[in-house]
Amino acid sequence: MAADSDPESEVFEITDFTTASEWERFVSRVEEVLNDWKLIGSSAGKLSPEKGEYTSGTWGEKCQDINFADFKFYITHHFLKQECEKDDEKDKVEEDAFPLAMQDLLCMNNDFPPRAHCLVRWYGIREFVVISPGTNCEAIISESKCNLLLSSISISLANSGCQVPMFVQIQQKWRRMYAGECQGPGVRTDFEMVHLRKVPSQYNHLSGLLDIFRSKIGCTLSPLPPVNITIRFTYILQDWQQHSWPQQPPDFDTLLGGEVGGVEFGKIPFGACEEPISELHLATTWPHLTEGIVVDNDVYSDLDPLQAPHWSVRVRTAENPQCLLGDFLSEFFKLCCRKESTEEVLGRGSAEDEGKENSDISSALNKLTEPVAPVPISKLSVSNMVHSARKHIRRHRRIDESPLNTDILNSVLLYVFPDAAVEKSSENSKNKPAQSNACGKAEQDKNSDYNLFLQLKSAPIDSLTYRLALCVCLVNYNHGGLRAVAHLWQEFVLELRYRWENNYLIYGLAGGPPDLRCCLLHQKLQMLNCCIERKRARDEARKVLEESKERERKVSGSGQNGRPASESATASASKKEVSPGKSWDSWSDSEDEFFECLSDQGEIEAPHTEGEKDGSKSKAEGRLHPYNNMTLLNSTEPLYIPVTQEPAPMTEDLLEEQSEVLAKLGTSAEGTHLRARMQSACLLSDMESFKAANPGCVLEDFVRWYSPRDYVEEEVVDEKGNTVVKGELSARMKIPGNMWVEAWETARVTPARRQRRLFDDTKEAEKVLHYLAVQKPADLTRHLLPCILHAAILKLKEEEAVEDIPSVRKTIQQATSQASKLLHTPNYDYKKLEDFINQLMAMETVITRARSLKAKFAMCEGEKVEDTDELETFVSSLLEEPEVVVVGAGQGPAGSIIHRLFVNAQRLADFTSDEAALLAPLEEDSGRDRKQTAGSNKVPDFPPPAGREILVRTCVPRPAPYSKALPQRLFCVLMREEFRLAGAFSSDTSFF
Amino acid sequence: MDDDVLTTLKLLIIGESGVGKSSLLLRFTEDTFDPEQSATIGVDFKVKTLAIDGNRAKLAIWDTAGQERFRTLTPSYYRGAQGVILVYDVTKRDTFMKLENWLNELETYTTRNDIVKMLVGNKIDKDDHEVDRNEGLKFARKHSMLFIEASAKTKDGVQCAFEELVEKILQTPGLWESENQGQKLRLGDQEQGGGRACGGYCSIP
Repeated sequence: MAADSDPESEVFEITDFTTASEWERFVSRVEEVLNDWKLIGSSAGKLSPEKGEYTSGTWGEKCQDINFADFKFYITHHFLKQECEKDDEKDKVEEDAFPLAMQDLLCMNNDFPPRAHCLVRWYGIREFVVISPGTNCEAIISESKCNLLLSSISISLANSGCQVPMFVQIQQKWRRMYAGECQGPGVRTDFEMVHLRKVPSQYNHLSGLLDIFRSKIGCTLSPLPPVNITIRFTYILQDWQQHSWPQQPPDFDTLLGGEVGGVEFGKIPFGACEEPISELHLATTWPHLTEGIVVDNDVYSDLDPLQAPHWSVRVRTAENPQCLLGDFLSEFFKLCCRKESTEEVLGRGSAEDEGKENSDISSALNKLTEPVAPVPISKLSVSNMVHSARKHIRRHRRIDESPLNTDILNSVLLYVFPDAAVEKSSENSKNKPAQSNACGKAEQDKNSDYNLFLQLKSAPIDSLTYRLALCVCLVNYNHGGLRAVAHLWQEFVLELRYRWENNYLIYGLAGGPPDLRCCLLHQKLQMLNCCIERKRARDEARKVLEESKERERKVSGSGQNGRPASESATASASKKEVSPGKSWDSWSDSEDEFFECLSDQGEIEAPHTEGEKDGSKSKAEGRLHPYNNMTLLNSTEPLYIPVTQEPAPMTEDLLEEQSEVLAKLGTSAEGTHLRARMQSACLLSDMESFKAANPGCVLEDFVRWYSPRDYVEEEVVDEKGNTVVKGELSARMKIPGNMWVEAWETARVTPARRQRRLFDDTKEAEKVLHYLAVQKPADLTRHLLPCILHAAILKLKEEEAVEDIPSVRKTIQQATSQASKLLHTPNYDYKKLEDFINQLMAMETVITRARSLKAKFAMCEGEKVEDTDELETFVSSLLEEPEVVVVGAGQGPAGSIIHRLFVNAQRLADFTSDEAALLAPLEEDSGRDRKQTAGSNKVPDFPPPAGREILVRTCVPRPAPYSKALPQRLFCVLMREEFRLAGAFSSDTSFF
Repeated sequence: MDDDVLTTLKLLIIGESGVGKSSLLLRFTEDTFDPEQSATIGVDFKVKTLAIDGNRAKLAIWDTAGQERFRTLTPSYYRGAQGVILVYDVTKRDTFMKLENWLNELETYTTRNDIVKMLVGNKIDKDDHEVDRNEGLKFARKHSMLFIEASAKTKDGVQCAFEELVEKILQTPGLWESENQGQKLRLGDQEQGGGRACGGYCSIP
């Protein structure tokens, strides 16, 4: 057995281990582990633990497998992590001090730790080793096996000199039965346990248990050294009937009923559907009693919980209570994984729709390309367009087949497209989107949360995309799931097409090119709006033109021309400057976009621009305004900035595509050349416009406007002695055959409005609409996910602000930055996103718990302000700490509320359920005299305790009167279905 | 070749027209100087692999045209850039004065706010300096940028400028590991250990 015998002795004797039994091998393995973990040697000398240290400190655990023959055990070392290092104190330790564990048996600082291993609670020890059967191994039930294991421990401890107590787990696991031993110099503590199903009646009280303790320590001294008693009763409150759960879940059913308001859409549900606090445990403690101070026997008990000097409370929370926001999010998230396309979801009927829709598209295209009469916009009002769009689809699908109820669909669409509700003339409503966007933005800028959409790459709150996201989510959650979502999406795309075809701007999108910081769907919608805007401008300008043509026919022979009336007034006022008064805006809206149409436009303008001074000069067209008082190099004409084509707006996917194409051309000189050529369309267009606006101009003129640093001016003294400024193109512009020269030579004299469109709004709009139409519900969900998470974070922030929970506030912040990373990658990591949603759900649960506790511990009117503060602190500690001390025990403000809760529950329990329903809660008589309650009422204030813990300790010589006085401890647990005695009895191993 | 590349970085070169952006890039990528470098139209693109401290980074560098009119076109390429080189011409004061505008532009169009910025004063080989080195330094300090003076013609500072920029990007956590291993969040203390350890008789139903 003694494997570590002296090397020297080996020379003289042979130790034979070849016949060692399995048992011997097991013992040596245990010793080896103790050695490895450095648990040998004296453990004494450490300070006794601080009050509450077992709760505030962290517990460590080391575990290893260990075999007895082929039977697997786990050997685990549990210990409280303490700051002081072992090495420091070793010197100070006296040789034969008690082992640490024995000192801990008597320490009063950490009775009933709320979170610790059961052995810690029972024996008060801070460090121990447990050997328990491995998983899938049967329990150690037979007595001989138990004894064998205990003997092994005993031998290992003795051999290694380990002073850490060691336990074996015996009997079935659920019984939590342990037997163990601790050895020190000349002393030993045996840890024994009794576990029964029922409490024997003679031991159902303090006096019976004291009898056991006394007989066990077998002390013959008289008088007996004082026995220290600590008692703790625990009461459980499960019945919250008198406090109905304070938050009513929003009543979604109203939507299904007749009254449909748009209000519900755009809100996110929040809160628990069930009570998130399942139980309240009140522990009443009597610390430091001595025998005789209290009486507790089979006929009488002094132990009134209300009188207990020490109260503490813990709450038990419901595991994953159903919470609305969480459900809302996870249901939405589930959609991401659905593979069905819209047609598959909506069935065959919609496939027919699709066919018809396509024919509509082509007819729409025809309409666009046909030479059209002015669109009768004024005949249409925005309010009826949603309806007409709907009628259109309803033709193909019977109403009762629709997955989404008509009323709901109506209110969703009304919420998503609120402009449709405003009954106004087409002109007014057309101006509206732009205005409302502008002011909406100004307001939002003030909001500190406004920029959250940048972090999450979602869309601004109250943008169309954001609102759509909320609706899709709500429709999915409440109004029919996947099918309803598919239906809504179809309607949405239809509405967009309607708007495109009828020149209505899409409401709720910031103007200008797509904002690349937003989600792709938002960009696509903005893109569509750009297309509509340009198309509308084109149509409008055409209309104006036709009107003026009309007018011209009437006012024959005058100098009037085909320009809009406002402008011709200016023109006639100053004939020299053709259109100086025009603002850039009005131009860009009208004439700028006139590309490729109306070939007669030029002729109409002819008399107007007529080069009055120089008949030989060709007429100028498409002038914006003069440039810095410059004149052309070859004439005295002012240099005009031409009206140019606007650059094409781009969404990020288009951009990606384009840069990929450009990058693919490679890095060679040809590649560079090709790239430049591909991008020169804009340059060429600008050159053509420039030529048209400045008849007789040269490349130098163009460069002076376009790239002024490439026109080098120098002061030169001419032959007459005057200094003249001479200018020429920069060296790089003079390189023969460079792209600029080449483009200049190719450029025709064409004003922007007669050029080919650089941006084909018809094509781009159709591309967007097609893209949208082919998005499956799952794709849509993915597109909208950032917006939904954005909304959820805002909701959590809002709810947290009401409750003020610092831990949640901190977590929201962390979560936001995490979401920022998750949402900025082009391919979402769904596992991580799911985790993220779970985080949000956990936060919601914490908030609902806080809310529930606050409601339960709400202050009644007329009570003191200090008490309110105290209650608030109490509630927030309940959320953060495992067990909270009730200040003032039963007499404090929290204590009296708890008392009242119990009294009410007791009263209710006493009546039959029918009567209970009629009984009003006892809130009103909260101020009544306590004594009266206790005395006259038949119903006791508190239910019988769910658990009683009685801890008796003393220090007596054992086994003989002349032995050393050693710590003795008995921990008793009395519950309805459990009776446990955990005893630690020490004895002197030298003097017995 | 690409296998041992640690990461691909997107860089951007911006600045007024004619300050030598394309020349700087050509010097860096091909180590040549073309006095007949023609004015860039739209954007141009070059690739180079650079080794920094044993890590190889592939650089995709987008060179932009400086002309006002192209500015409506080029900002779309700012997206996703991790580093930007802002160039001015030390012999032309107005190119220095416009830097503020370029920074605004950058602010507006880049998608990340931790983008690394480097200021380069180009053409120091010329004699008629209009912008003093100290002015450049001051500007860079004010806007937390890297700063160097360089000459694409004489090679001075060019390699160094790119290397510094890339090194700085690689040192900025979260800027280039596109798929961050997002650390798991923990909800305060409540979640930890809740109900893990068994506590006395707390197995009460």
